[in-house]
Amino acid sequence: MTPELVSTTSVAQPTLRGQRWLSATMFINAWRTTEFRIGFFVFFGLIVLSVLGPSLFGVSPTKISVTDKFLPPIGFEGGNWAHVLGTDQLGRDLFARSLIGLRNALMIGLISVVGMFLLGSAIGMIAGYVGGWVDLILMRITDAQMAIPVIILAITILGVSRPTPFSIVCVLILAGWPAYARTARSVMLSERRKEYVRAAKILGASDLRIMIVHIAPNILPPIAFVAVLEVARMMIIEAILGFIGIGIQPPTPTFGTIIADGTKYLMNAWWITTVPGLLLAISLCGINLMGGALERARNKLLQGVS
Amino acid sequence: MTTRRQVLVGAGATLALGAVGMPLAAKAQGKKTVVLASMGPLTGNFDPTSHTTLGQGNFDKLIFSHLTRAPMEEGKTDVLEPDLALSWQIIDEHTLEFKLREGVKFHDGQDFSAADVKATYEYASQPDRPASSFYPGQVEVEVVDPLTVRIKTDKYGYPASTFWFVSSYLPILCAADIADPAKLQSRPNGTNSFKYVMTEGDRSTLEAFDGYYAGRPKIDEIVYAYVPDANTRVLGLMNGEYQIAERLEPEQYQSLLSNDTVAVRKGMSTENKYLHFRCNKAPFDDPRIRLAACHAIDREQILALMGDAGVASNCFVSPMKFGYTDIPNYPTYDPAESARLLEEAGFPGGKGLPQLEYITSIGFYPKTKEYGELIAAMLMEVGFDVQLTVLEPAAWEQAIYRGADGQGPGHMCDVGWMTGSPEPDLVLRPNWHSSAALINGVNDAEIDAALDKERATLDPAERMKVLAEETFPLLAAKVPSFSLFSAVVFHGAAKNLKGAYYYPNGPIDLTKADLV
Amino acid sequence: MLFAVDFFLRRLVQGLVIVVLVAMLIFTLLRVVPGDPVRIMLGPMVTAEMAEETAQKMGLRDPVPVQFIRYAAQVISGDFGHSFVRSAQGGSTGGSRGGDTFDASNRAPVMGLILTALPYSLLLAGLALGISLVISLPIGIVAGLFSGRWPDRLALYLSSLFVSLPNIWLALVLIFLVSVKGGLLPAIGYQNWTYAILPALVLAIELSPVFIRSASVAVSSNMMESYVPSGIIRGLSRPRMIVAHVLRNSMIPLLNVVGIQAIGLLLGSLFVIEYAFNYPGVGLLMINAVFQRDFPVIQAIAILACTVLVLVNILVDFAATTIDRRLQY
Repeated sequence: MTPELVSTTSVAQPTLRGQRWLSATMFINAWRTTEFRIGFFVFFGLIVLSVLGPSLFGVSPTKISVTDKFLPPIGFEGGNWAHVLGTDQLGRDLFARSLIGLRNALMIGLISVVGMFLLGSAIGMIAGYVGGWVDLILMRITDAQMAIPVIILAITILGVSRPTPFSIVCVLILAGWPAYARTARSVMLSERRKEYVRAAKILGASDLRIMIVHIAPNILPPIAFVAVLEVARMMIIEAILGFIGIGIQPPTPTFGTIIADGTKYLMNAWWITTVPGLLLAISLCGINLMGGALERARNKLLQGVS
Repeated sequence: MTTRRQVLVGAGATLALGAVGMPLAAKAQGKKTVVLASMGPLTGNFDPTSHTTLGQGNFDKLIFSHLTRAPMEEGKTDVLEPDLALSWQIIDEHTLEFKLREGVKFHDGQDFSAADVKATYEYASQPDRPASSFYPGQVEVEVVDPLTVRIKTDKYGYPASTFWFVSSYLPILCAADIADPAKLQSRPNGTNSFKYVMTEGDRSTLEAFDGYYAGRPKIDEIVYAYVPDANTRVLGLMNGEYQIAERLEPEQYQSLLSNDTVAVRKGMSTENKYLHFRCNKAPFDDPRIRLAACHAIDREQILALMGDAGVASNCFVSPMKFGYTDIPNYPTYDPAESARLLEEAGFPGGKGLPQLEYITSIGFYPKTKEYGELIAAMLMEVGFDVQLTVLEPAAWEQAIYRGADGQGPGHMCDVGWMTGSPEPDLVLRPNWHSSAALINGVNDAEIDAALDKERATLDPAERMKVLAEETFPLLAAKVPSFSLFSAVVFHGAAKNLKGAYYYPNGPIDLTKADLV
Repeated sequence: MLFAVDFFLRRLVQGLVIVVLVAMLIFTLLRVVPGDPVRIMLGPMVTAEMAEETAQKMGLRDPVPVQFIRYAAQVISGDFGHSFVRSAQGGSTGGSRGGDTFDASNRAPVMGLILTALPYSLLLAGLALGISLVISLPIGIVAGLFSGRWPDRLALYLSSLFVSLPNIWLALVLIFLVSVKGGLLPAIGYQNWTYAILPALVLAIELSPVFIRSASVAVSSNMMESYVPSGIIRGLSRPRMIVAHVLRNSMIPLLNVVGIQAIGLLLGSLFVIEYAFNYPGVGLLMINAVFQRDFPVIQAIAILACTVLVLVNILVDFAATTIDRRLQY
């Protein structure tokens, strides 16, 4: 899914200390770019807002008030300050709902990416380290899994079972781990022949210890940098699932359900679908700017080194 | 003159050219075709006695005729007009006679006669036919001569006059088809102005029937399209893809009022919307819990949400129906009473109640999901733990009717009931008589007795009194279902479609319609 | 020639293994979820005994592996079974309580349903790929030629923006602006091919960041290769150098991207966008099947989608090796 991940494969890794220094440099280089900072501030601003917002403004995202239905955002005729972004078809505050939606999307995005990163890397590292039959079987499973588009897998599983946040995260992890497994495996293949690994082996460290303590800290950070972009993708998928009706179930608001429920009212209340979507798009832009900067910093450094 | 749209079309055409050369081209013009965007799917079975669904019912009405017609114009809802019958009269308490029209033909060319009426009535009223719950009971039909039939109920012990209005609702089939169920199910064969041609996916085509007794209709072709989403129906109507769109949302009605090409109409329907409780399943087998739920629901808020699409009514039938009355003991919004009842039933504050599933549809009726969320929120307020399940119409149609094991999925269902003619039994018996109780599964001897008594009362004034003083108050005290409001329906149609008649129970008569 | 045969043989066998694994996975998943398919087929009014009898007859009570082998044998003979809920004419059905039991002959064959919907999806996918390439290749190539300068930045910002637009939201915004307010293009459903333009545009916008990125990376890295200055020294003009060599060499990674990423992305998003536009393709069929729990349709489409992805991958790899013989598989 993410061939950018794969580009780490061909890179010759320098010494242990150099490797860790490299990760730090990548981050510092990324931080120096304007894009990264813009993305960072946009993104963290929204996180703070979504965590504190609902309690700060004292507006409930689920409180129904039929008399206040279809209020437009402020700046449009009929809008008022009590509902900054207007209200939906049941008179619920769209801003509060969007913030909760953002919080849920973020949680699902983050947890699932961390999950697929851990699972994928673990499988990839084992396959690469152990080799042989284990490698072959694990990689065939990876190939098979990669052949199923995420959305199709998600629709198939969530559509026929009752979706919960937990099952959504599981499905996303199930769909996303193979890319990480492939990358981790190919890096592992070159890494396991290195001096420091052999040294650790001679000193009598167990395979598990070598993988977790010695190799993982070297090979995982560059992969993790690129995984940031994946958070945005997972957030979009979460919205899509909600849109189809197989995401987090009401009354908990998600971007997808808000957008889907508002479709009917496009003609007379356009803001219900557009405004929350805009908020989602802005936060995704933030993540993508950060992730993109990190990725480029990494690529530049790795190319420079090789 | 080249418009912007043509330019875009051209640009796209060059792109798409050669990509696919498949059956994507639009159909040939020249025919007067009305595409009717319906919210209800067909059942896949063309035997009209095999279902009680609205979509298939409206489709059936285009093809099948009835003995009489009940146009139910406002103010004179009890008028019956001749259709396949020219006149009708009550002979005695158990005999109702119809004189039939001469020279009527079925779509497959057979002649219509008394034998068809006999076969249809006796077949459709058999208790094992799913639609028989609409009808007052089983009948025998005597063929007096080829153009005279007598509906007889003496063997089954209830008055024949109950078929007076039902005669406008029971579609007349061909006797030869009834003898061959496979044929009956595979294609519809009626006597009405349009005949069935074919079904392709979710679109079924009908064409004008040359042999229609009142003359061939001016519309050449009707395409009955299942379009499960209200938004899609309206957008399709606006861009000319559909000529009629059923069941608009009230907001869509408002925004279409000023449209140049689309005419909208608003009409009171015979439909009430109900919250059915699954009465044969805990916890709603206890009437106190049902009442507690009813008292928790603020129907004023639901009506505020519905806007023009609903009117308040405190009765189990619509104001268009015979016997409609404001039931004095109809449950009102009273959270304190709700809490008291819950406590009395042993679930103080809702503690100990299981999670309740509330099944509703989306795209079929206006705003079901919206008020479903509202009702769920109101029920949660008093301590019910409610989970809303929103289903696409076809899946919802499958879910609402309870199974042969007596139960259906979930604990509550949102269903409307829209039937023709002013006859209230078309609503009461299918829903609350234990012999049917299609959705809620209520099995209550008192309710059964009250419904049978009301059916057996001959004198209209007396029957009205029984309904108002006995039947409805009993239903309101036991609330196997809670009637939420009466529905107003909105249709949208192309401005150039003239002469269509919209029945308040859903069907659209295009016999006299034309595209001008 | 021998190389091609060898290549396809090996890859097809590998691909087959993958497809079988995928089919097994999906088949098992659909069997373990709650919800009895017999109930869906027969409707709610049927008795428990009748349901059980039908289930036995159809083999739905056999162990999952047995069912899978039977299904696989059926699929190999080209039969994907019959839909649970769609009538023989392909329409959605609901609410019938007619007494008759499930009879495969009055239900739509899954393959027929898919074949009816497929042309629409192909049209949409083709249009989306076309629009996307037309938008993104010029941007990507220019960005690659002027790597690090303003066209590069512009391309970067543009693709960051595009990648951040949720497709469903974009779909609705475009329906609202272009179709409802503007009246420029039709949007919902399908009457003629113009109905495919707007959904294709949404898909194209979603696809283009991938193309822009890989085009610019491929072009800029080729421009840094030593053959470019040496070619120019040998007297080839710079434009000719770019067109004849740089662009040609940049094709390989691009092709890879088209194959693996774009098709994968397209296969997923196509489904959602068809649903959002009520566009009668395979995706809408699939999503409706999910709502109606029409398992035969779901598993057939999922398996076919994976097969397509696997085949495309093989073709892409083959094309890449013929363009550049250094890449041997």
